[in-house]
Amino acid sequence: MGYPRVVITGLGVVSPNSGVGKEAFSRAISAGVSGIRKISLFDTAPYKVKTAGEVKDFDPQAVLGRGGLRVLDRGTKLLCCAVKTALEDARINISEENSRTIGIAAGNTLGSLQSICDFDKVALSEGPQYVNPSLFPNTVINAQVSQASIRFKIKGFNVTISNGFSAGLDALIYAANFIRLGRKKIILAGGVEEFCEQTFIGFYKAGFLSEAKEGKPELSCPFDQRRNGAVLGEGAAVLVLEELDSALQRGARIFAELKGGGTFFDGSRIDKYKRGGRGLAFAMRLSLEKASLSPQGIDYLSCGANSTAEGDELEARAVREVFGKSPRMPAASCLKSMLGESFSAAGALQSAAAVCAIEKQIVPPTLNYQEKDPLCDVALVTEKADSRRVDNVLINAFGPGGSNTSVVISKFTI
Amino acid sequence: MQDIENDVRCLIAEVLEKDQAEIKPDSRFIEDLGMDSLKALEILVAVEKKFKITIPEQKLSELKTLVDTVNVAKEFLAAKEKANAG
Repeated sequence: MGYPRVVITGLGVVSPNSGVGKEAFSRAISAGVSGIRKISLFDTAPYKVKTAGEVKDFDPQAVLGRGGLRVLDRGTKLLCCAVKTALEDARINISEENSRTIGIAAGNTLGSLQSICDFDKVALSEGPQYVNPSLFPNTVINAQVSQASIRFKIKGFNVTISNGFSAGLDALIYAANFIRLGRKKIILAGGVEEFCEQTFIGFYKAGFLSEAKEGKPELSCPFDQRRNGAVLGEGAAVLVLEELDSALQRGARIFAELKGGGTFFDGSRIDKYKRGGRGLAFAMRLSLEKASLSPQGIDYLSCGANSTAEGDELEARAVREVFGKSPRMPAASCLKSMLGESFSAAGALQSAAAVCAIEKQIVPPTLNYQEKDPLCDVALVTEKADSRRVDNVLINAFGPGGSNTSVVISKFTI
Repeated sequence: MQDIENDVRCLIAEVLEKDQAEIKPDSRFIEDLGMDSLKALEILVAVEKKFKITIPEQKLSELKTLVDTVNVAKEFLAAKEKANAG
């Protein structure tokens, strides 16, 4: 007897280009709506970089109600909104009877640096006796997933995967393995990152961000010759992963199937992409193998490219190594051209987009693509969505620290 | 002194996410208003910060109602004023 199949029966998304909700997200990525605009969460006067993918006019109270939000930080509210809408989409009511059979695993690496700084700021400026003890829980890395778990009475387990750029996809693989091993029937899996000045400063000073200089624009334009850095983003996406039999028994709507995933770590420096791309190629091959697919079986390649010179080149090399040259490449697209680089949330948002793409039978466009880079020869869908058969999507996430993860999400057939 | 009661009521209402009218002088924090230990500590800190006083944590167990909290705040405000006068 093989392992149980893992299907996707719900989606919850909070995104810079569509706010809260799966339908709005699906429409926005199909239409190529950008969520990147002038930063509003803090004053950018001291910085040369001015744009980011913020979830604008985010109103968690409208989704979650008034109670219990007072001391939660932005990231926790983003995740809670994604969890609530995912549960609604999956038509799951968590009760005393089923709460122990449901778990949650989400990627988050930056935590809430803003919460830590705000907490310390009070201690330093007013004195340690005046820190608000209710804000202390926000300062730990597992706060967001734990708070969501408490709020929605998810008692099976709660896990924060905190390994950087690939954490959103790694959370999906972790959750899927739990289901395949028969330990849980339903797991909410995804990722979350909030945008704040503290993380912005870190990436800014590290020279990771795109800025208008040397005739090049401040722009998220993956694989484009003009690219000169990432534009930061934020958001949360939660997929309801469910054992197939459980989904069939409760009459759930099955949107897609998570067929396989692969990871490979090839880090040598925390701040430098490994140019060869062999780690990512290995992760892609492993996920194809787990999904029992050949490279030609992939219809849509959801790239992790974030408009950094080295990162995009790395992915293009890895794609070429796995798929061969141009005619054999699948249609590719970079969601980060619309949403920015949201770190541990990125893979989860790409996965949510993959489910929407399968549902609509489209490949979403990559925005801002104008000038071809010969080192980045991928079959990009640009300008507008490409209507085509989309049965299998390969999703990539990778970072300069050496984490590489790929996941295959496929159209569900019984 | 009425101002102190109003200020404390306002702090408690904010922490407990209640309307101020719900914070009656003898409403019991835990039984009637759903307070937990973390929120109790938060109220203690908020009162200290508001009146620039220091209340020993041993006093926490005495803060069971609005009246109790106001009385403790007054006690330590009086001690502060006395110390300042001396």
